[in-house]
Amino acid sequence: MALPHIFEVAWPDPSKLGVDSKSAALLLNEARETFAGHLGVRSDEITFLGEANIGFQLGISGLMSGKNRLVYSNIDRMEVFAVAKEHQSEQLQVSSTGQIAYKNLTSEDVVALQLCNRETGTIQSARPANCAGIFVDATASGTRIALPENWSTALWDSTSWAGPGGLGVFALSKRANWSNPLPHLDNRISPGPTSLPLIVASALAIDSWVADEKNLAAKISAINSDIRSFIMANIPDADIAPGGADHLISASFLYVNAEQLVTALADKGFAVDSGSACNATNMQPSHVLAAIGLLTQGNIRLTIHHATTFEEIKSFLQTLAQTVLELRA
Amino acid sequence: MEILDCLGKRCPLPVIELAKVLKIKPIGFQITLLSDDPASAPDLIAWARMTGNNAKVIDATSFEITKLSD
Repeated sequence: MALPHIFEVAWPDPSKLGVDSKSAALLLNEARETFAGHLGVRSDEITFLGEANIGFQLGISGLMSGKNRLVYSNIDRMEVFAVAKEHQSEQLQVSSTGQIAYKNLTSEDVVALQLCNRETGTIQSARPANCAGIFVDATASGTRIALPENWSTALWDSTSWAGPGGLGVFALSKRANWSNPLPHLDNRISPGPTSLPLIVASALAIDSWVADEKNLAAKISAINSDIRSFIMANIPDADIAPGGADHLISASFLYVNAEQLVTALADKGFAVDSGSACNATNMQPSHVLAAIGLLTQGNIRLTIHHATTFEEIKSFLQTLAQTVLELRA
Repeated sequence: MEILDCLGKRCPLPVIELAKVLKIKPIGFQITLLSDDPASAPDLIAWARMTGNNAKVIDATSFEITKLSD
Protein backbone atom coordinates (compact mmCIF):
# COMPACT_ATOMS: atom_id res chain seq x y z
CA MET A 1 0.00 0.00 0.00
CA ALA A 2 1.46 3.36 -1.00
CA LEU A 3 1.88 5.95 1.73
CA PRO A 4 -0.54 8.59 0.34
CA HIS A 5 -3.21 5.88 0.11
CA ILE A 6 -2.72 5.02 3.77
CA PHE A 7 -3.56 8.60 4.70
CA GLU A 8 -6.71 8.42 2.52
CA VAL A 9 -8.08 5.30 4.16
CA ALA A 10 -6.67 5.47 7.66
CA TRP A 11 -8.02 8.83 8.86
CA PRO A 12 -11.22 7.83 10.70
CA ASP A 13 -11.27 6.95 14.40
CA PRO A 14 -11.30 3.13 14.55
CA SER A 15 -13.34 3.19 17.76
CA LYS A 16 -16.38 4.91 16.15
CA LEU A 17 -19.27 3.16 14.37
CA GLY A 18 -19.37 4.68 10.88
CA VAL A 19 -18.51 2.68 7.75
CA ASP A 20 -15.17 4.49 7.37
CA SER A 21 -14.37 3.84 11.01
CA LYS A 22 -15.07 0.15 10.55
CA SER A 23 -12.59 -0.08 7.70
CA ALA A 24 -10.10 1.85 9.81
CA ALA A 25 -10.65 -0.64 12.65
CA LEU A 26 -9.96 -3.47 10.19
CA LEU A 27 -6.71 -1.83 9.15
CA LEU A 28 -5.72 -1.45 12.80
CA ASN A 29 -6.46 -5.10 13.52
CA GLU A 30 -4.48 -6.27 10.50
CA ALA A 31 -1.54 -4.13 11.63
CA ARG A 32 -1.79 -5.54 15.14
CA GLU A 33 -1.68 -9.11 13.76
CA THR A 34 1.32 -8.23 11.60
CA PHE A 35 3.29 -6.91 14.58
CA ALA A 36 2.22 -9.81 16.79
CA GLY A 37 3.55 -12.29 14.22
CA HIS A 38 6.93 -10.61 13.83
CA LEU A 39 7.48 -9.69 17.48
CA GLY A 40 6.39 -13.01 18.98
CA VAL A 41 3.56 -11.72 21.16
CA ARG A 42 -0.26 -12.06 21.08
CA SER A 43 -2.07 -9.36 19.14
CA ASP A 44 -4.18 -8.45 22.19
CA GLU A 45 -0.99 -7.85 24.20
CA ILE A 46 0.00 -4.95 21.92
CA THR A 47 -0.55 -1.24 22.54
CA PHE A 48 0.71 1.41 20.12
CA LEU A 49 2.40 4.47 21.60
CA GLY A 50 2.57 7.85 19.89
CA GLU A 51 5.67 8.61 21.90
CA ALA A 52 7.82 5.49 22.03
CA ASN A 53 9.87 6.45 25.09
CA ILE A 54 6.84 6.77 27.38
CA GLY A 55 6.99 2.96 27.16
CA PHE A 56 9.93 2.95 29.60
CA GLN A 57 7.72 4.49 32.29
CA LEU A 58 4.73 2.27 31.40
CA GLY A 59 6.78 -0.89 31.16
CA ILE A 60 8.89 -0.48 34.29
CA SER A 61 6.82 1.52 36.77
CA GLY A 62 3.75 -0.58 35.92
CA LEU A 63 5.56 -3.63 37.30
CA MET A 64 6.71 -1.89 40.48
CA SER A 65 4.68 -1.97 43.65
CA GLY A 66 5.94 -0.54 46.95
CA LYS A 67 7.94 -3.65 47.85
CA ASN A 68 9.75 -4.13 44.54
CA ARG A 69 13.31 -3.20 43.70
CA LEU A 70 14.32 -2.28 40.14
CA VAL A 71 17.49 -3.95 38.86
CA TYR A 72 18.99 -2.36 35.75
CA SER A 73 22.43 -1.84 34.23
CA ASN A 74 24.80 1.05 33.64
CA ILE A 75 24.46 0.69 29.86
CA ASP A 76 20.66 0.97 29.91
CA ARG A 77 19.00 3.90 28.18
CA MET A 78 18.83 7.22 30.09
CA GLU A 79 15.04 6.76 30.08
CA VAL A 80 15.57 3.73 32.36
CA PHE A 81 17.85 5.81 34.63
CA ALA A 82 15.06 8.40 34.88
CA VAL A 83 12.46 5.80 35.88
CA ALA A 84 14.92 4.22 38.35
CA LYS A 85 15.15 7.53 40.24
CA GLU A 86 11.50 7.09 41.24
CA HIS A 87 12.00 3.64 42.75
CA GLN A 88 14.14 1.60 45.06
CA SER A 89 16.75 0.37 42.63
CA GLU A 90 20.13 -1.23 42.02
CA GLN A 91 22.37 -0.44 39.07
CA LEU A 92 24.52 -3.36 37.89
CA GLN A 93 27.95 -2.67 36.34
CA VAL A 94 28.59 -4.40 33.05
CA SER A 95 31.86 -6.21 32.27
CA SER A 96 34.47 -4.96 29.78
CA THR A 97 32.46 -6.72 27.07
CA GLY A 98 29.25 -5.01 28.18
CA GLN A 99 27.76 -8.14 29.74
CA ILE A 100 25.62 -8.34 32.87
CA ALA A 101 25.89 -11.11 35.46
CA TYR A 102 22.71 -11.49 37.49
CA LYS A 103 23.41 -12.51 41.07
CA ASN A 104 21.05 -12.86 44.00
CA LEU A 105 17.88 -11.83 42.19
CA THR A 106 14.88 -12.22 44.47
CA SER A 107 11.18 -12.68 43.82
CA GLU A 108 10.75 -8.99 44.63
CA ASP A 109 13.11 -7.75 41.94
CA VAL A 110 11.87 -6.23 38.72
CA VAL A 111 14.56 -6.39 36.01
CA ALA A 112 15.03 -4.01 33.08
CA LEU A 113 16.69 -6.07 30.34
CA GLN A 114 18.17 -4.41 27.26
CA LEU A 115 18.43 -7.00 24.49
CA CYS A 116 20.79 -4.89 22.38
CA ASN A 117 22.53 -1.59 23.05
CA ARG A 118 21.84 0.98 20.35
CA GLU A 119 25.25 2.67 20.70
CA THR A 120 27.68 -0.23 20.74
CA GLY A 121 25.49 -3.05 19.42
CA THR A 122 26.24 -5.06 22.59
CA ILE A 123 23.90 -8.04 22.75
CA GLN A 124 23.06 -9.09 26.28
CA SER A 125 23.41 -12.84 26.71
CA ALA A 126 22.30 -13.29 30.34
CA ARG A 127 18.61 -13.76 31.05
CA PRO A 128 17.15 -12.98 34.48
CA ALA A 129 15.15 -15.68 36.22
CA ASN A 130 13.13 -16.08 39.44
CA CYS A 131 12.24 -12.40 39.66
CA ALA A 132 8.97 -10.46 40.01
CA GLY A 133 8.91 -9.22 36.44
CA ILE A 134 11.01 -8.35 33.39
CA PHE A 135 10.76 -5.20 31.30
CA VAL A 136 12.42 -5.82 27.95
CA ASP A 137 13.98 -2.88 26.10
CA ALA A 138 13.84 -4.10 22.51
CA THR A 139 14.11 -0.61 21.03
CA ALA A 140 17.46 -1.35 19.35
CA SER A 141 17.07 -5.09 18.69
CA GLY A 142 13.73 -4.77 16.89
CA THR A 143 12.83 -8.07 15.23
CA ARG A 144 16.37 -9.46 15.45
CA ILE A 145 16.28 -10.93 18.98
CA ALA A 146 13.38 -12.90 20.46
CA LEU A 147 11.85 -11.96 23.80
CA PRO A 148 12.80 -14.18 26.74
CA GLU A 149 9.95 -16.55 27.59
CA ASN A 150 9.37 -14.95 31.00
CA TRP A 151 8.98 -11.35 29.74
CA SER A 152 6.38 -9.14 31.43
CA THR A 153 6.45 -5.92 29.41
CA ALA A 154 8.35 -5.04 26.24
CA LEU A 155 9.02 -1.97 24.13
CA TRP A 156 9.99 -1.62 20.47
CA ASP A 157 10.69 1.45 18.37
CA SER A 158 9.29 1.56 14.84
CA THR A 159 12.54 3.02 13.50
CA SER A 160 14.39 -0.23 14.29
CA TRP A 161 12.68 -1.89 11.28
CA ALA A 162 13.04 1.27 9.18
CA GLY A 163 9.46 2.26 9.94
CA PRO A 164 8.34 5.83 10.60
CA GLY A 165 9.60 7.55 13.77
CA GLY A 166 7.21 8.68 16.48
CA LEU A 167 5.72 5.24 17.01
CA GLY A 168 6.40 2.74 19.75
CA VAL A 169 5.03 -0.77 20.09
CA PHE A 170 4.40 -1.77 23.67
CA ALA A 171 3.46 -5.25 24.80
CA LEU A 172 2.01 -6.28 28.12
CA SER A 173 2.09 -10.00 28.81
CA LYS A 174 -1.12 -11.62 29.98
CA ARG A 175 0.94 -13.13 32.82
CA ALA A 176 2.36 -9.83 34.07
CA ASN A 177 1.46 -8.36 37.42
CA TRP A 178 1.04 -4.83 36.09
CA SER A 179 -0.95 -1.74 37.00
CA ASN A 180 -1.07 1.44 34.99
CA PRO A 181 1.41 4.01 36.39
CA LEU A 182 -0.18 6.84 34.34
CA PRO A 183 -3.32 8.69 35.42
CA HIS A 184 -6.26 6.78 33.90
CA LEU A 185 -10.03 6.36 34.13
CA ASP A 186 -10.43 3.15 32.14
CA ASN A 187 -8.34 0.12 31.24
CA ARG A 188 -6.59 1.67 28.27
CA ILE A 189 -2.82 1.46 28.69
CA SER A 190 -2.02 4.68 26.82
CA PRO A 191 -4.48 7.56 26.58
CA GLY A 192 -3.83 7.79 22.83
CA PRO A 193 -4.96 8.34 20.17
CA THR A 194 -2.04 7.06 18.10
CA SER A 195 -1.76 7.94 14.42
CA LEU A 196 -3.33 5.09 12.44
CA PRO A 197 -1.48 6.03 9.23
CA LEU A 198 1.82 5.70 11.15
CA ILE A 199 0.77 2.32 12.54
CA VAL A 200 -0.18 1.01 9.09
CA ALA A 201 2.99 2.41 7.51
CA SER A 202 5.07 0.79 10.24
CA ALA A 203 3.29 -2.56 9.74
CA LEU A 204 4.18 -2.45 6.04
CA ALA A 205 7.74 -1.52 6.97
CA ILE A 206 8.17 -4.41 9.41
CA ASP A 207 6.86 -6.89 6.78
CA SER A 208 9.36 -5.81 4.18
CA TRP A 209 12.12 -5.41 6.78
CA VAL A 210 11.81 -8.99 7.96
CA ALA A 211 11.79 -10.28 4.37
CA ASP A 212 14.88 -8.21 3.49
CA GLU A 213 16.70 -9.06 6.71
CA LYS A 214 16.72 -12.77 5.78
CA ASN A 215 18.43 -12.02 2.46
CA LEU A 216 20.71 -9.23 3.66
CA ALA A 217 21.93 -10.47 7.05
CA ALA A 218 25.00 -12.12 5.48
CA LYS A 219 25.92 -8.94 3.58
CA ILE A 220 25.58 -6.80 6.70
CA SER A 221 27.73 -9.21 8.67
CA ALA A 222 30.41 -9.13 5.94
CA ILE A 223 30.36 -5.32 5.85
CA ASN A 224 30.74 -5.28 9.63
CA SER A 225 33.85 -7.50 9.43
CA ASP A 226 35.28 -5.38 6.60
CA ILE A 227 34.92 -2.20 8.68
CA ARG A 228 36.47 -3.76 11.77
CA SER A 229 39.44 -5.26 9.97
CA PHE A 230 40.07 -2.10 7.94
CA ILE A 231 40.13 0.10 11.06
CA MET A 232 42.36 -2.33 12.96
CA ALA A 233 44.80 -2.61 10.05
CA ASN A 234 44.88 1.02 8.90
CA ILE A 235 44.03 3.40 11.73
CA PRO A 236 46.33 3.23 14.76
CA ASP A 237 45.09 4.03 18.28
CA ALA A 238 41.49 3.04 17.53
CA ASP A 239 39.18 1.51 20.13
CA ILE A 240 36.36 -0.54 18.64
CA ALA A 241 33.48 -1.74 20.82
CA PRO A 242 33.38 -5.55 21.11
CA GLY A 243 31.20 -7.26 18.51
CA GLY A 244 27.46 -7.58 18.93
CA ALA A 245 24.67 -6.72 16.55
CA ASP A 246 26.08 -6.75 13.02
CA HIS A 247 24.40 -3.52 11.92
CA LEU A 248 26.01 -1.39 14.65
CA ILE A 249 29.66 -0.42 15.09
CA SER A 250 31.14 2.03 17.57
CA ALA A 251 34.75 3.12 17.12
CA SER A 252 36.79 5.76 18.94
CA PHE A 253 40.02 7.36 17.80
CA LEU A 254 42.57 8.61 20.30
CA TYR A 255 43.63 12.30 20.04
CA VAL A 256 40.69 13.12 17.72
CA ASN A 257 37.99 15.72 18.32
CA ALA A 258 34.70 13.94 17.52
CA GLU A 259 32.86 17.10 16.56
CA GLN A 260 35.49 17.86 13.93
CA LEU A 261 35.43 14.24 12.76
CA VAL A 262 31.64 14.06 12.42
CA THR A 263 31.56 17.44 10.65
CA ALA A 264 34.37 16.51 8.27
CA LEU A 265 32.66 13.20 7.41
CA ALA A 266 29.34 15.00 6.90
CA ASP A 267 31.05 17.43 4.49
CA LYS A 268 32.18 14.42 2.49
CA GLY A 269 28.65 12.98 2.45
CA PHE A 270 28.73 10.46 5.30
CA ALA A 271 26.23 10.71 8.15
CA VAL A 272 27.53 9.24 11.40
CA ASP A 273 26.55 9.75 15.01
CA SER A 274 28.88 10.19 17.98
CA GLY A 275 28.92 9.40 21.69
CA SER A 276 31.67 11.89 22.51
CA ALA A 277 31.08 14.70 24.97
CA CYS A 278 31.80 17.48 22.50
CA ASN A 279 28.99 16.17 20.32
CA ALA A 280 26.41 15.92 23.12
CA THR A 281 24.00 18.69 24.12
CA ASN A 282 24.87 18.20 27.81
CA MET A 283 28.66 17.99 27.07
CA GLN A 284 28.80 14.61 28.82
CA PRO A 285 30.49 11.62 27.19
CA SER A 286 28.35 8.59 26.38
CA HIS A 287 27.54 6.77 29.63
CA VAL A 288 27.57 3.51 27.65
CA LEU A 289 31.15 3.90 26.39
CA ALA A 290 32.32 4.97 29.85
CA ALA A 291 30.53 2.03 31.52
CA ILE A 292 32.20 -0.51 29.23
CA GLY A 293 35.56 1.24 29.64
CA LEU A 294 35.81 2.29 26.00
CA LEU A 295 37.45 5.50 24.84
CA THR A 296 34.84 8.28 24.59
CA GLN A 297 36.87 10.85 22.61
CA GLY A 298 36.85 10.78 18.83
CA ASN A 299 33.89 8.41 18.83
CA ILE A 300 31.70 7.58 15.86
CA ARG A 301 28.73 5.25 15.70
CA LEU A 302 27.89 3.56 12.43
CA THR A 303 24.62 1.97 11.41
CA ILE A 304 24.78 -0.40 8.45
CA HIS A 305 21.45 -0.19 6.64
CA HIS A 306 19.89 -2.79 4.36
CA ALA A 307 20.74 -0.57 1.39
CA THR A 308 24.38 0.00 2.40
CA THR A 309 26.77 -1.28 -0.28
CA PHE A 310 30.35 -2.56 -0.17
CA GLU A 311 31.37 0.28 -2.53
CA GLU A 312 29.96 2.92 -0.19
CA ILE A 313 31.78 1.37 2.75
CA LYS A 314 35.05 1.20 0.83
CA SER A 315 34.85 4.88 0.02
CA PHE A 316 33.74 5.69 3.58
CA LEU A 317 36.68 3.85 5.12
CA GLN A 318 39.23 5.59 2.88
CA THR A 319 37.67 8.93 3.85
CA LEU A 320 37.66 7.98 7.53
CA ALA A 321 41.33 6.98 7.57
CA GLN A 322 42.32 10.14 5.72
CA THR A 323 40.22 12.37 7.99
CA VAL A 324 41.52 10.85 11.23
CA LEU A 325 45.07 11.32 9.93
CA GLU A 326 44.40 14.99 9.07
CA LEU A 327 42.74 15.74 12.40
CA ARG A 328 45.64 14.23 14.33
CA ALA A 329 48.22 16.28 12.42
CA MET B 1 55.83 15.50 40.94
CA GLU B 2 55.29 17.63 37.83
CA ILE B 3 51.80 18.97 37.22
CA LEU B 4 50.10 19.33 33.86
CA ASP B 5 47.24 21.78 34.30
CA CYS B 6 44.45 21.14 31.79
CA LEU B 7 41.64 22.68 33.86
CA GLY B 8 39.06 24.29 31.59
CA LYS B 9 40.25 22.38 28.53
CA ARG B 10 37.77 20.19 26.71
CA CYS B 11 38.23 16.68 25.37
CA PRO B 12 40.37 15.56 23.59
CA LEU B 13 42.86 18.32 24.57
CA PRO B 14 43.93 16.96 28.00
CA VAL B 15 44.87 13.58 26.50
CA ILE B 16 46.63 15.21 23.53
CA GLU B 17 48.68 17.49 25.80
CA LEU B 18 49.53 14.59 28.08
CA ALA B 19 50.77 12.52 25.13
CA LYS B 20 52.96 15.45 23.97
CA VAL B 21 54.58 15.79 27.38
CA LEU B 22 55.18 12.05 27.77
CA LYS B 23 56.73 11.71 24.32
CA ILE B 24 60.04 13.21 25.45
CA LYS B 25 60.10 11.67 28.95
CA PRO B 26 61.73 8.41 30.06
CA ILE B 27 59.89 5.24 31.09
CA GLY B 28 58.82 5.48 34.73
CA PHE B 29 58.16 9.23 34.50
CA GLN B 30 55.23 10.33 36.66
CA ILE B 31 53.04 13.39 36.34
CA THR B 32 49.83 14.70 37.90
CA LEU B 33 47.23 15.72 35.34
CA LEU B 34 44.56 18.20 36.40
CA SER B 35 41.40 18.15 34.31
CA ASP B 36 37.78 19.01 35.00
CA ASP B 37 36.50 17.70 31.68
CA PRO B 38 33.86 14.99 32.28
CA ALA B 39 35.44 12.78 29.61
CA SER B 40 38.89 12.75 31.25
CA ALA B 41 38.23 10.02 33.81
CA PRO B 42 36.99 7.39 31.31
CA ASP B 43 39.38 8.54 28.59
CA LEU B 44 42.58 8.50 30.67
CA ILE B 45 41.78 4.95 31.78
CA ALA B 46 41.08 3.94 28.15
CA TRP B 47 44.19 5.81 26.93
CA ALA B 48 46.34 3.94 29.48
CA ARG B 49 44.90 0.58 28.36
CA MET B 50 45.40 1.39 24.66
CA THR B 51 48.92 2.81 24.95
CA GLY B 52 50.32 0.57 27.69
CA ASN B 53 50.66 3.30 30.30
CA ASN B 54 49.15 3.76 33.73
CA ALA B 55 46.47 6.25 34.84
CA LYS B 56 45.15 6.40 38.37
CA VAL B 57 42.16 8.49 39.40
CA ILE B 58 43.07 10.54 42.51
CA ASP B 59 39.88 12.56 42.72
CA ALA B 60 37.32 14.12 40.37
CA THR B 61 39.85 16.47 38.77
CA SER B 62 43.29 14.93 39.34
CA PHE B 63 44.96 11.90 37.84
CA GLU B 64 48.32 10.29 38.48
CA ILE B 65 49.97 9.23 35.25
CA THR B 66 52.94 6.89 34.94
CA LYS B 67 54.73 6.38 31.63
CA LEU B 68 55.29 2.67 31.11
CA SER B 69 55.82 2.47 27.37
CA ASP B 70 57.21 4.52 24.47
